[in-house]
Amino acid sequence: TGGHTTEILRLLSCLSESYSPRHYIFADSDKMSEAKIRSFEQKRAETFSNSQFTLDRIPRSREVRQSWASSVVTTLYSILYSLPLTYKWKPDLILCNGPGTCVPVCISALLLGLLGIKRAIIVYVESICRVETLSLSGKILYYFSDYFIVQWPDLKEKYPKSIYLGRIV
Amino acid sequence: FRFKDSLAQDLHEADLVISHAGAGSCLETLEQGKPLVVVINEKLMNNHQLELAKQLNRDGHVLCCNCSTLVDTLQSMDLSTLKPFPPGRPEKFALFLDKVVGFQ
Repeated sequence: TGGHTTEILRLLSCLSESYSPRHYIFADSDKMSEAKIRSFEQKRAETFSNSQFTLDRIPRSREVRQSWASSVVTTLYSILYSLPLTYKWKPDLILCNGPGTCVPVCISALLLGLLGIKRAIIVYVESICRVETLSLSGKILYYFSDYFIVQWPDLKEKYPKSIYLGRIV
Repeated sequence: FRFKDSLAQDLHEADLVISHAGAGSCLETLEQGKPLVVVINEKLMNNHQLELAKQLNRDGHVLCCNCSTLVDTLQSMDLSTLKPFPPGRPEKFALFLDKVVGFQ
């Protein structure tokens, strides 16, 4: 969604062409991200000849301030939806930055790993908006990601397993 | 202004920006190098949105006030005390990720 998409595209901006093909997954309720992604990829294609990317939508796992109980149900539904996608793409690397959408995708990737089908490296970058506290996605994925990056020193202190590279977006 | 696609043009032409504490608004403004006064409405905000505005204020990049102190702030502010906001470094992330996945 919105700010998350802008941030993640900035994270991608300096990556080499080895990071290809890129599979973007976002919430079905998100109206603006598709345009931003296409515009980013279009610019990229001007420099790199072999740009490949795909776009997939999954049901939004949680609305802002949705209750716990219903969040579990909607997240499970999103996981069911993400499983065939992660199975299809079998990513080597998953990069996410905090919208609720990333939790079901990462969980389905973890399941694929547990089943011995494909082990993906999960890299989570917490949003630059998070200075003192982690988002809910962050709190969950702090334990399940391979690399957890924060952008402010306070968070590095509170979450010692995290990685601090300064502001990267 | 209701729902413009992008404020980039308006930001470019502005001398001063007065905004709510939304992260997108703050960062876009600072990246364009414009002085920013952030108006905080504690009753309306998600708690976490305040974090960024407070940090930017602590670091001297923005001035903060609330609705009732806005006029005073505008009258007495000294914008020269604001520090420039250096851009983020996505190249550091790229270097890090290359090491992680084994592209050296």
